[in-house]
Amino acid sequence: MRVVSELLIEIKQFLSIVIAFAPKFLPAVLKTLELSVVSILLGTLFGLVVVALKLTKLKTLEKITNGYISIVRGTPLLLQLYFIFYGLPLIGLEFSRSTSAIIGLAFHSGAYISEIFRGSINSIHYGQEEAGKALGMSKYQIFIHIILPQAFKRSVPALGNQFIIAVKDSSLASVITITETMLIARQFVAATYNPFPILFIAGVYYYVIITIISRLLRRLERRLSVNER
Amino acid sequence: MKDKVILEINNLHKSFDDLEVLKGIDLSIHEGEVVSIIGGSGSGKSTLLRCINYLEKKTKGEIYFEGRKVESTPKSRNEFRARVGMVFQHFYLFPHKTIINNVMMGPVIVKKKDKRLARESAYRLLEKVGLEEKADVYPDMLSGGQKQRVAIARALAMEPDIMLFDEPTSALDPELVGEVLQVIQRLAKDGMTMMIVTHEMGFAKEVSDKIIFLNEGKVAEIGTPYDIFENPKDERLKSFINSIW
Repeated sequence: MRVVSELLIEIKQFLSIVIAFAPKFLPAVLKTLELSVVSILLGTLFGLVVVALKLTKLKTLEKITNGYISIVRGTPLLLQLYFIFYGLPLIGLEFSRSTSAIIGLAFHSGAYISEIFRGSINSIHYGQEEAGKALGMSKYQIFIHIILPQAFKRSVPALGNQFIIAVKDSSLASVITITETMLIARQFVAATYNPFPILFIAGVYYYVIITIISRLLRRLERRLSVNER
Repeated sequence: MKDKVILEINNLHKSFDDLEVLKGIDLSIHEGEVVSIIGGSGSGKSTLLRCINYLEKKTKGEIYFEGRKVESTPKSRNEFRARVGMVFQHFYLFPHKTIINNVMMGPVIVKKKDKRLARESAYRLLEKVGLEEKADVYPDMLSGGQKQRVAIARALAMEPDIMLFDEPTSALDPELVGEVLQVIQRLAKDGMTMMIVTHEMGFAKEVSDKIIFLNEGKVAEIGTPYDIFENPKDERLKSFINSIW
């Protein structure tokens, strides 16, 4: 009997902390959303630009983009964020904390997204390009009207993965003292000495954000597949 | 009527690395003429067609279109291609576009034609190939024969001066070959200038004004269907015909 009532008390305490602290997370969750959405959009833009530069097949551009991708993939995001926030000011490039975080995150996912785009562009059958050429289209017209729409559709599943990773990666911005979900969680843990309910709240927020993103992506995928039998 | 030379090919060579596929082809195609190209596999038939509209980069030789040399600059190449229709063995329809949009795409994007007008003429072309009721479906919903008819309509939409067919029926189930050949035959009757790479000997015999037999990258024999099928001179052509009939 005593065990049961102790458990009930524990649960009550857990719930009361959850209820008390969940709303206090909101500003930080909004920050997480802001970091994720902006870095996803910018990252996608970077990815497109990088893959477009690569497709020009100009040696110098190719070398630069390859260098970018190999540096981003070859080092941890944590280190990249430190470098932008603490390292770049030493050579006179100083950004606000938020800007540093967004640059770092977008730069990071941009490299992966460009590789996703490259893969899906390469997967389009060469006959598609030839059919465009045979109609007299320029390289640019073929890319915009024939290759890109088909490649984009193929990139959606992998892109979705990358977007989800970007949401989680935004938690690393806490290391440059940005008050997003993970940092606020740590502060609340320190204040309450009760990590379990606090981390539970943080986890639920992440889970909800990511579930919404994957639902939206699934809907997009369905809409893009109208041309399939 | 058939005295105006529309396409002239001079000393066309094509090598893939060390392999010389075309070893100096000379040809002239007259307006309204239907020319079939036959030959064994590896004889260079498809390569010849692909070199003509620069899908393959030729190694040597010149192409003259309506008396003017086609330069290999992108601009000159694209302008030339816009006047040359091409139909591929595997159709290569655009899967993300509806049938009508497939047909409209060339005029709208390359010729900047008004969308409404382009749609009207695309619809008329679909009627011509008997597929107007498929206008709003996607290529995935069509049979091979239907896809190839759409591909023909798509090429025709550019109002080309000459049509190139690269084995248009080779990827089709036997029962679907007829509907595509019929469309090509009707084009021939309408006076379209055409070059057709084909394995359909009966069809080539019936539809062609001139047949070219390619062997090992050279024109081994050229003549009327009667010359080629009833009175062949070249030894390899004789054995080719024997092996096919």
